[in-house]
Amino acid sequence: MKRLCDICGKNEAILTVRHLDKEGKATEIGICAQCAKERGFSGVEDLQKGAAELLAELKARIEDKDKKVVCPKCGMSFAEFKRVGRLGCASCYLTFGKEIEPLIRRLHGSVQHVGKSPQEGVKRAQERLKIQRLRKELEVAIKEEDYERAAALRDLLREAGDEPKN
Amino acid sequence: MNPRTERVGSWLSATGPESDVVISTRVRFARNLADVPFPIRMKPEDQELVLDTVRWALKETGFLNRGRFYEEVMLDEPDGHYFVERHLASPDFISSKGKKGLYVSDDETLSLMVNEEDHLRFQGLASGLDFSLAFALAGEMDEKLGSQVDYAFSPQFGFLTSCPTNVGTGMRASVFLHLPGLVLTREIEKVLRGAYSVGLLVRGIYGEGSETRGNLFQISNQKTLGQSEAEIIEVITNICRQIIDYEHKAREYLMHNLRVEVEDKVFRSLGILRGARIISSAEATNLLATVRLGVSLGIINELKLSEVTSLLVLIRPANLEAILGEKLEPAERDERRATFIRQKLVR
Ligand SMILES: [Zn+2]
Ligand SMILES: [Zn+2]
Repeated sequence: MKRLCDICGKNEAILTVRHLDKEGKATEIGICAQCAKERGFSGVEDLQKGAAELLAELKARIEDKDKKVVCPKCGMSFAEFKRVGRLGCASCYLTFGKEIEPLIRRLHGSVQHVGKSPQEGVKRAQERLKIQRLRKELEVAIKEEDYERAAALRDLLREAGDEPKN
Repeated sequence: MNPRTERVGSWLSATGPESDVVISTRVRFARNLADVPFPIRMKPEDQELVLDTVRWALKETGFLNRGRFYEEVMLDEPDGHYFVERHLASPDFISSKGKKGLYVSDDETLSLMVNEEDHLRFQGLASGLDFSLAFALAGEMDEKLGSQVDYAFSPQFGFLTSCPTNVGTGMRASVFLHLPGLVLTREIEKVLRGAYSVGLLVRGIYGEGSETRGNLFQISNQKTLGQSEAEIIEVITNICRQIIDYEHKAREYLMHNLRVEVEDKVFRSLGILRGARIISSAEATNLLATVRLGVSLGIINELKLSEVTSLLVLIRPANLEAILGEKLEPAERDERRATFIRQKLVR
C-alpha cells in the first residue's frame, strides 16, 4: 500500500524520515515531494535537521483534531467561530462554554447575566394583562353602578400592583 | 419605491427632554428563538419559520394593528435605504439576501427586524433624552413577543445572541447627540474620551466609518452582560447629563465671547440652504445642523427645531425620492434637493 504524506495527507510520500527522541523512541514520518519543496528541504540532511520541526507540526495538527469540538446542533467548530466571530446556534454556547468564557469575560468583564429573564417578562406581561382586564371590569361595574363590586375590583387591582389613578 | 410622505417619526419631533442637545434615544434588544439556528447558519426553511413565527406573534400580540409588517422586495437595496435613513433598519439588513421582515409602528417609534444578525432585533425610539419611554416601548414588545415565542436563553449567559458582544441583556441603549458647542470649542475630544473610559462607545452619525457629519454623535453601551438593563441605562444617562451640561456651557461661552462669529456661521448656513440650486446630502446635513444650533440658541426665530431636525432625514437620498415619488440620478437629485430645502426654509 502506498504511504500518504503525513503533512498534507494527499500526495504519496516519497521520503520517510525517522526521528529519535531523547528517550530513543523512533517516529517515522512520510513526506511528499511538494511538501518537502515547500518547506525548503532539498537534501537528506536538511530533512533530518527539519524532522523535529515537522514532527512538532504534525503533533499540533493531531491535537487540533482532538480539540476540534463541533456543535452537535449546527455543526459549527470552535475554529470556525474564531474565524467568523459569530456562533451558529444557542447550543454553541453550551458546546463551547469553556472556550468562550474567557472571550466573554474580556468583552463584558463578567460571565454572569444579571438582567431580566424570559420568565420574568412573561410574568410581567401576564400581570399587565390581568390588570387591564380588571380595569375593564371596574369600568363596567362603575357604569352599572354596582359599587360593591367596584370596591372589590379596586382591592384586586391594588393587590395586583396597579397604581390608582384619579 | 416606498409609498411614503414627508411625515417623520414622532421621535424626530424635538419635543422630548433636552431636545436642544439630544435628538433621540434608542433602546434595542437582540433576541433569538430557541431551537432554530442563528441567521449565520440558517437555511431558507429556517428563515421562513422565523418569519412565520414572528408574523403570527405580532398579530397575536396586537402589534400589527398599530403598524405594518414589510416583507421581501421593499427591504432590499436600493429601496430599503428609505428605512435605514429613518433609523428603522440597519445597512447590513437591507444589503443581506434571504427572507427577512421589518415591522414599523405607525408613529415609527417602534421597529423590528426579522433575520438580521439575530432572529429578532427591535428598538424603541424616543425624542430627546428619554430612556424611560424608549425602554418602555421596546420592553413591551420584548415581553409580549416573549410570551408567545420561546427565546434562546441561558441562566449564565442570558439572552443568547449570534455575536458574543451582544449576549446577556441583548440590550443596546444609545443616544443621538448634537454637539456643535463642544466641537466649536474643541472640547469634544475630551468628552468623547471620557465616555469611552467608562465603557461607552462613541461614533459619528451619518458618516460611513468614523467620519462625523453635522456634529452629530451616537453614544451607546459596549457591555451587555453582567449589568442589569437599569444599570446600563443609569450609566449612559449620567454620562449624557454631564455631556449636555458641558455642551450648554460651551454654547454659553460661544454666545458670550464669539457671538458674531456664531451668528455669522448660522446665517451663512441658512443663506446657502435658502439660496443653493444644487446641494449634496452631506453638505445639506452639515448646514442644517448649524441652522439647528441657531434655532436652539434663539439666533433664528422663524424656524422650529422640529422642522430642521426632521429635514436631516427627509433630505437623504431615498427619503427625498420617496417624497418626490420618483427615482433620480445623483446630479438631478442634488438639484431637486436644493429646491425642496428652499421651499421648506423660505419664509
Ligand atoms: Zn505532502
Ligand atoms: Zn451550534
